Amino acid sequence: MSTVTQHKRNRLEIWRDVIFALFTREIRTGFNDKFGLSWAIVNPVVFIVVLSFIRGILNGPYTHTLPTFLFMSVGILFIQSFLKTLQTCATSVRRNKALYAFRQVQPISAVIASALFEILAKIFTASAIVAIMYFLGLELQMDNGLLFIASFFLLFLLAAALGLLFGIIELFVREIGKVREMASRPLFFISASFFSLQDIPREFWPYLNWNPILHAIELTRYSLMPSYGLEGVSLGYLAGSVLVTLFAALAVYFISWKQAISR
Amino acid sequence: MIRLDKVTKFYPSNLGDQYIFRDLSFDIPGGHNIAILGSNGSGKSTLFRLIAGSEYPSSGRIITDLTLSWPVALATGIHPEMTGRENARFIGRVNGVTDLAAYEERIKLFSGLGIHFDLFVRDYSSGMRSRLAFACSISIDFDVYLIDEVTSVGDANFRKRAKDALQRISDHSNVIMVSHQMSELRKFCDSAIVLDKGELTFYNDLEEGIERYQAL
Repeated sequence: MSTVTQHKRNRLEIWRDVIFALFTREIRTGFNDKFGLSWAIVNPVVFIVVLSFIRGILNGPYTHTLPTFLFMSVGILFIQSFLKTLQTCATSVRRNKALYAFRQVQPISAVIASALFEILAKIFTASAIVAIMYFLGLELQMDNGLLFIASFFLLFLLAAALGLLFGIIELFVREIGKVREMASRPLFFISASFFSLQDIPREFWPYLNWNPILHAIELTRYSLMPSYGLEGVSLGYLAGSVLVTLFAALAVYFISWKQAISR
Repeated sequence: MIRLDKVTKFYPSNLGDQYIFRDLSFDIPGGHNIAILGSNGSGKSTLFRLIAGSEYPSSGRIITDLTLSWPVALATGIHPEMTGRENARFIGRVNGVTDLAAYEERIKLFSGLGIHFDLFVRDYSSGMRSRLAFACSISIDFDVYLIDEVTSVGDANFRKRAKDALQRISDHSNVIMVSHQMSELRKFCDSAIVLDKGELTFYNDLEEGIERYQAL
């Protein structure tokens, strides 16, 4: 029996191979149940339909000049993307612990693979929602595509960075995972997914607009239709907070990952 | 040669840090098939994982210019919700195997899994899992194979094939092995490292090492 040749890889190639291997593994095991990929569409669509119905009762087919269905789609899709990516990335660190037996596999590769998988799933979901809206004859409009993409990816980056940070900390203190779950629950209500910042009296804004997720969601709605307005939110703040979070996550990761997986 | 340079390793616990090794310096010589002997909890698996780079020492370094396998234990890196082939492919990718198709076929042949190779690992028996794990490792060219209690689970036929395979590559490769079955170790190894109270001792002759270990 002859053995198989390994080719000598540089560091970047190892990273690429490992992330690709983990990514395909995510795809293979991610949609293993009977619902499969369809659940990734059905779940948010049900949410969006129900919530836009409720919102429609409150203020008719238009919400701050945006069609209510579109308004709700952005809100639900974005907050769900954030929560799901945060959760998947944070748990992927521990879930893949057995794989760190291969010295090529590092926790951050697992986080990157999970984040890529979530991005792919959400792009798929978003396309499906657009298709549904098109066939239902609902109003579709995109004014500033670049802003839309920027907000979307900044939000993903924020979720992935926080996921990495929590994932590493949770290897040291497992209970932090419960704190993360508890802390992420109210995010659904304070991130402008159902109530826009415009619905809320101005004197309460300072209590809400520290939250970068809110900025991402409101900016995305603005990118669809400029008449929606962008009072109280800023791309600079969103980008800045993502940058700071990412730096903190990478710094913590860099100094502690070796000890974190050696416990 | 694998050099351990002032390696300290402890695990935190409720009763303070539990030290496995303190300031340990040791050279594991190359060119030997080495059995690692030690009582339960003496740190055999920890030593194994440290050498393989699966874990890192609390302080100190481990230096080697050899290519080492991952520590091949029963279920390392094998996902029960994937088929044997998909698992093999994953391991191949991580380790930088160039021809994945050939690698898969080799594993299928060597492990003797037959049709089960394309079925979910969750339905495998422990013997089949260990055959898959061992086949994945032995089908890649390493200088040193790290094997943890794996060969003892397979059936007689598979053990013979494993031994033949290791014999055939013995001119350029070696094994480091952990097992509690002396008959296993006698089959594959020629020398021993005895682990006791955080100290390592190398015995050029396996029997001498076994004697020392049994006297512990």
